[in-house]
Amino acid sequence: MKDEIQNYMDRPKRYDNIDGTGEMGMGLMMLAFALSGCLNAILPDNHWWNTIGGVLVMYAVLIPALCLGYWGGKAIKKHITWPRTGYVAYGPNRRSRWIAAATVCLVAAVIGGGLVCLMLLARRHGAISLLGIGTLAVYAATYGFWIFFLGRGHSWKWGVLVFMTIGLLAIGLPVGGDYFKVWRQVALFVGLVWLASGAATLYLYLRHTQPPAQGAE
Amino acid sequence: MTGQLRAISELDRVIHEPGRLMIVALLAAVKECDFVYLLHETEMNKGNLSSHLARLEEAGYVEIEKTYRGKVPQTLLRLTRAGRVAFDQYRKGLKTAF
Repeated sequence: MKDEIQNYMDRPKRYDNIDGTGEMGMGLMMLAFALSGCLNAILPDNHWWNTIGGVLVMYAVLIPALCLGYWGGKAIKKHITWPRTGYVAYGPNRRSRWIAAATVCLVAAVIGGGLVCLMLLARRHGAISLLGIGTLAVYAATYGFWIFFLGRGHSWKWGVLVFMTIGLLAIGLPVGGDYFKVWRQVALFVGLVWLASGAATLYLYLRHTQPPAQGAE
Repeated sequence: MTGQLRAISELDRVIHEPGRLMIVALLAAVKECDFVYLLHETEMNKGNLSSHLARLEEAGYVEIEKTYRGKVPQTLLRLTRAGRVAFDQYRKGLKTAF
């Protein structure tokens, strides 16, 4: 019974991504990251973009993408999600904030520690970049965490995780796992997968819900 | 009376009813939500949900605010401080009982 109560208490958290807006926001961010990297690769080395001023321009690409993700998500919620399945406001919950902060620190420490171990191992076994493989694994793990905490209702997303993992391996292994050689392709691929996953979630949400009749309350 | 039975008998009857427990658990995790959201999550009919909410409001556990989102009427619901305290106590009581 305790678990059932906790399950109901966890539902609002999962409801936040019922329409896929969070995934689409992540996808847009990764695509903007890939776009700035592609511009960086296309333009000549002595171009002003590739000097220190280029960092500002990178933000000029990233910030609109983040804004689009944020405001676009808000617009979807306001005009589609809330009229169909209801409005929820998430309040300041000190306990869950501390838990979230502690979790982020712990995960960052584990990932950082893991990458350092891989770096040390990579020095001994130089044939394949273990650091690069580890970095690629973080991308897949992030999506895995997302599904586990927010997308458990959609079992097909585990298939997307498998697809993402295979895709990352297909991109990373031909260059011996050297992430820095292929980070643009990785960002593009991961961004597209997140965006497609979010769009599919939104499509399924629209298919399975009906807007309530006006004045139904 | 054993300790377990006493703990069960001391559980808050207002919250202990399954429908209301569902509502309170959902409200405890958010700042506020509307009637449509509770309808969606609890899968109750409007009449049942309304009567449970009225009972919770009567006990001082839930605050109900009638408002408008644009031209559409909206019923906002939030757990009061007393409601949060009662829910925390209920969970502790449940833990003791089982």
